[in-house]
Amino acid sequence: MTQYVLRRLIHSVFIIWGCATLVFFLLRLIPGDPVIQMLGPEYTPEAAEALRRKLGLDEPLQVQYVRWFGNILRGDLGGSIASGETVTGAIATGLPKTLSLAALSFLIAIVIAVPAGVAAALKRNTIVDYAASVVAFVGVSMPSFWFGIILILVFAVWLGWLPATGYAELTDDGFVEWLRRLILPSLAIGAGYAAILMRFVRAGLLEVLGSDYVRTARAKGARERTVIVRHALRNALIPVVTIAGIQLALLLSGAVVVETVFSIRGIGRILVGAIFDRDYPMVQGVILLVAVIFVLANLVVDIVYTFLDPRIHYG
Amino acid sequence: MTTVDWSVLSGPRVSRRTLIGLAAATGAVGFAGRLAATAAAPRAVLGTIQDQPKQGGTLRLGFGISQIPTLDPAQETTGIVAGELLGNLFSSLVQFDEQLGLKPDLAETWQVSEDGLHYTFTLREGLTFHNGDTLTSEDVRYTYERTSNPDFASPHANKLAFITDVATPDERTVAITLGTPYAPFLSTACSRGPGRALTPVPRRPIEEMGDQQFGLTPVGSGPFMLVPETANTGGEGFEMIAFEGWYGGRPLLDKIVVQIIPEPSSRLSALEAGDVDMLDIVPPTGSAQLAQNPDLTLVDAPGTNWWGVSFNRARAPWDNPDARMAVAKAVDRQALIDTAFFGLGVPSVGPIAPAFGWAYVPPEEVETPQAFDLAAAKALAERAGLTGAKSSLLASEDDRPHQVLRNILAEIGLDLTIDKVQTATYFERRDAGDYDTMITGSVVDADPDDGHFNFFHSEGPWNTYGYVSEEADRLIEATREATDPTERAKLFRELQTLLQAEVPFAFLFHQPDQTAFHTDVQGYVPIPEMRYLETVWLDR
Repeated sequence: MTQYVLRRLIHSVFIIWGCATLVFFLLRLIPGDPVIQMLGPEYTPEAAEALRRKLGLDEPLQVQYVRWFGNILRGDLGGSIASGETVTGAIATGLPKTLSLAALSFLIAIVIAVPAGVAAALKRNTIVDYAASVVAFVGVSMPSFWFGIILILVFAVWLGWLPATGYAELTDDGFVEWLRRLILPSLAIGAGYAAILMRFVRAGLLEVLGSDYVRTARAKGARERTVIVRHALRNALIPVVTIAGIQLALLLSGAVVVETVFSIRGIGRILVGAIFDRDYPMVQGVILLVAVIFVLANLVVDIVYTFLDPRIHYG
Repeated sequence: MTTVDWSVLSGPRVSRRTLIGLAAATGAVGFAGRLAATAAAPRAVLGTIQDQPKQGGTLRLGFGISQIPTLDPAQETTGIVAGELLGNLFSSLVQFDEQLGLKPDLAETWQVSEDGLHYTFTLREGLTFHNGDTLTSEDVRYTYERTSNPDFASPHANKLAFITDVATPDERTVAITLGTPYAPFLSTACSRGPGRALTPVPRRPIEEMGDQQFGLTPVGSGPFMLVPETANTGGEGFEMIAFEGWYGGRPLLDKIVVQIIPEPSSRLSALEAGDVDMLDIVPPTGSAQLAQNPDLTLVDAPGTNWWGVSFNRARAPWDNPDARMAVAKAVDRQALIDTAFFGLGVPSVGPIAPAFGWAYVPPEEVETPQAFDLAAAKALAERAGLTGAKSSLLASEDDRPHQVLRNILAEIGLDLTIDKVQTATYFERRDAGDYDTMITGSVVDADPDDGHFNFFHSEGPWNTYGYVSEEADRLIEATREATDPTERAKLFRELQTLLQAEVPFAFLFHQPDQTAFHTDVQGYVPIPEMRYLETVWLDR
């Protein structure tokens, strides 16, 4: 197992390096010049040239790449060319927000998806099942930014219960304020995510409920509750964990849009802003981080399998 | 050309009254009458100004931008950040009044020599920066040297290119010499907000923290000072508190929290939900919605912008003047404004923006060959082979005016596709002249020079569509060297007539500068494109 994890970690380093390099060159292939973008209405060819020289963007690509990569190895992600902050600084302020948002969205998704999925599976082809299917269908089809705007209109503008925008620091402003600010954006992301998970919980449970060992458990006279929770659900969750891992992408891409709607400057909004501004160091730094998160999340998913199903071994 | 005395630009005020007097004296009676009429026109209701202002409180300002790259005046490039945020953090030599005339800021008076080459500013006594450092003529000279240093690469260095010498005979006197007269100098280089090139910055903190950090935690001399712990880090916003040592006395508010809300619909919701007290600018699509809310006040100031369709003359059929004129005549401006902006805007007959009252002439008083005439447009289109032709319209974010224009031009048989790209690509293609047509224009101008030279002079940086006219060049240069505002206004109008006829642009509309706040926000004085907030107070 340790060997397996080690091997996977070494693979991961190469994947991340490849990803970072690809982003470095792809970014420079897409049209749009950061200097022209930065100067905006103040653009003159002379000002553009002076700024390009100042930022080192007039140097050959390979020189820029080597310098950037050397800096990364020293742990220096560089400074944003669009704003004065460092990339590490921006990530340090943005990451806790995105993680808070992702965690709460995930929690909301699980809290909705598991009971709803179980109920739909147990009450198969009843009104409960159909209702859950319809809700899930709507949840999947609804773009998170649209749902976010609706939530703002209902809960912030009309009812006035919750704030429409912004983020509160857990440490400075306390748990209640933090939650008040996060609940709507988390719901906006979590709803779609819950819908997908719920379908998998239902399908997984239905499949397992028809299997031999469940019939055996029942034949032995085990209580229905024990059969469902101890025997069925645990096995039904394996595909769900896979999906949950893959759908981490959904959480992050949801964050990109929802952070903009709710004016939370997390990783997603930083990344989108940086792409629009052609802020090369910032895009590279954030993508590097996202790549690390993805690779690690997939590793964690693989490890979690072994706990859920003792038959899975990594040699 | 009559020779008029440049020294009329001297302060403590360059007022409308001076302009009216000059206009009358030089026989521009219609112009004087119009100025007098606009002065008498009813103004926006700004709450109950007769109430006793209250001191204290925090104003939360919702600000629509994806991020604020820097708050260093010399490095900042976004017009709304300059006018609306820097103007509160930094005082400058002069500032704008409600008609975009000039009045004293850090300089108590200023003299302009008759030949327009010598500007002598007398600073107020006892000025300090937010950190307590005294502000003297030496700081103005330091600012000049910093901004114009080629290694620093300030985008505003070009506004100082006319300067040949900055002398500081004593602590309160700054004597600036220009190599050639440059009429927009005070507005574009020395004004509070847009005049970023010469907005005084302190040497000591900049040397201690470096240029980059100064953009995050700037030290200015304006009515509000940045709270360093809330340093602007791009997309988050920041806080400003009242500066007790401001020459004009402590502002009324205790604090201003600038909250960045990039998404227009979220900005509207934040105002309606009470997350913020005021919006920097009302997104045009939300104006009608906010107007219905009794808890909100909407205030309009005339805009300093103009918008139009530009035609790339390097590409057929736009080298043909008939084709360009056909487009110009095909557009019912008011219908376009009603459809694309829910009626928010003024039809445009040229690049003189309504906020520059001293030069602007309302559209109904202007005869232009570009006026809407569908029958004539169809005839011209037919003649120019525009009927059934295909072309594209380069666009970035806002789709509405593009869609509307596309539909309008289908009337004359032109098949216009919208070539929608990201902003970065948009600017790059604009600067490379890689487009057929585009809706573009000049925004947040401190002086009409910005919206004329850049677009219509053969060397203008945004003249990427191939408009070369000796007559236009001559007139633009003349406006820069013009002897007095009346003469300047005349030249701008002459230029406008030329541009209407030669159709480098089909001029479309001007947008008002609209802001909105909760009714308990009082004392706001609307100055086009500025948000000087020292007079604002909260009735709570």
